[in-house]
Amino acid sequence: MMECLNNEKIQEYINGELTTVENAMVRDHLIICKKCRFEYEYYERLEKYLEDPVYIKPPEVIERNVLKALFPRIPALSSVLALIAASFTLIITWIYIYFDFANNSIIQALQITSSKTSNFIASVIKIISTIFSAVYAIFKIINAFIDAVFKVNIGVEIIGLLTFMMFISFFYLISRIIFKKIKGANA
Amino acid sequence: MVLDDDQVLIKKILEGKKSSFEELMKKYNKKIFGFIFRMVRDEEIAIELTQDFFIKIFKILAKYNFEYKFSTWAYRICYNLVIDYVRKNQAYIDSLDDDSVSQKQMLKSENYVAEDGFDKLAKEELKEYIWEVVDTIPVKYRELILLRYLQGLKYDEIASITELPVGTVKNRIFKAKEILKTEIENDGMFK
Repeated sequence: MMECLNNEKIQEYINGELTTVENAMVRDHLIICKKCRFEYEYYERLEKYLEDPVYIKPPEVIERNVLKALFPRIPALSSVLALIAASFTLIITWIYIYFDFANNSIIQALQITSSKTSNFIASVIKIISTIFSAVYAIFKIINAFIDAVFKVNIGVEIIGLLTFMMFISFFYLISRIIFKKIKGANA
Repeated sequence: MVLDDDQVLIKKILEGKKSSFEELMKKYNKKIFGFIFRMVRDEEIAIELTQDFFIKIFKILAKYNFEYKFSTWAYRICYNLVIDYVRKNQAYIDSLDDDSVSQKQMLKSENYVAEDGFDKLAKEELKEYIWEVVDTIPVKYRELILLRYLQGLKYDEIASITELPVGTVKNRIFKAKEILKTEIENDGMFK
C-alpha cells in the first residue's frame, strides 16, 4: 500500500500537476485511505473558495482623479472665443459710452471726413454710431426709471457696465451649452 | 503580429485616444485595487497607490514591449509599487495585521459561530470569511495567493512578476494554503 500523501502531493493532485501515473496512484490511495481523503476534501474546498475571489469594489474617485491628473481640462475653444468677443464688445462699448462718442465732435468730424472719401466707411461708422446711440438712449431711460422709482442716480456708465457684464455671462453660458451639445453629438 | 484585446487598446492609447485609456482602466481597476487593498489593508492608501499605478502606467506605456502580455507587465509594476510601500511602512502594515486578526475574531464571534461549523454558514459568508483569513496571513505568502487567485496568474507569470524561482513560488503557495488551513481549523471551520 502506498504511503500516506503529504499536503504538497494532495495540492498538486487537486491542481492537476501530477503525471498520469502519479495521478492514478494518488487517486487509488484516496479511495482506500480515509485520513488522506479527509485532507484532500479540505484542500479541495479551500481551492474552490480561493478560485472564486471576493472582489472589493474600487471607489469611483480613482478613475476620476487619474483622468484629472492625466488630462487636465482646458476651456473649450468656443468658450474662449466667446469670452474674447464679449470682452472686446464690452471695452469698445464702455469707451463709447464713457466718452459719449454719439455726441462727440471727433466722431462727427470722422463721419463728415469719411463721407467725402469713402461712402462705405461712412456708412459703417453711421450704423455703429446709430446702434450705440440707441443703446445709450436705452441706458439713459433705465437710469431715469431707477432714479424716479428708487431715488438713486446710478449713472449711465454703471448701468452700461452691469448690462454688458450680464450680456457676457449669458453669451458665455449659451456658447458652452451649444459646444457641449455639438461635442455630445460627435461622441 | 497578432495583437490581443489589451494590446489593441494600448495601440489606440499611444495614438492619443483618451477613451481607450479609460477602457483599460475600467478593465483593470477592480483587480488592481483589490490586490493593493488586500496587501496594504487601508482604503485611503489603496486608493492613492491605485491612482499612482494608473498614472505611472500611462506615463511609461511607450516603453511597453508588445512581445509580452500586457497584464504581466502591468502586474509587475503594480507589485513593485506595493512592495516598495510595504517595505517602507512595514511597522504600520504589521499593526494593521494585528487589527485585522482581532477584526476577524470579532467577525467570527458575531456572524460565523455555528454549532456544526461550515455547513451552517451560507456559501457567500464562508467565501467572505476565507478571504478575510487570506488578509491576515504574512505578506510574503499573501502576495502570492493574491497573484494566483485574485489575478488568476500562472506560476511562471507570478515568478516573472515577483522575480522568484518558479519552485519557490509553488512552495510558498502550498505553504500559504497550509497556513490558511491551520487558521480555518483553529477557527473551528470546515469541520
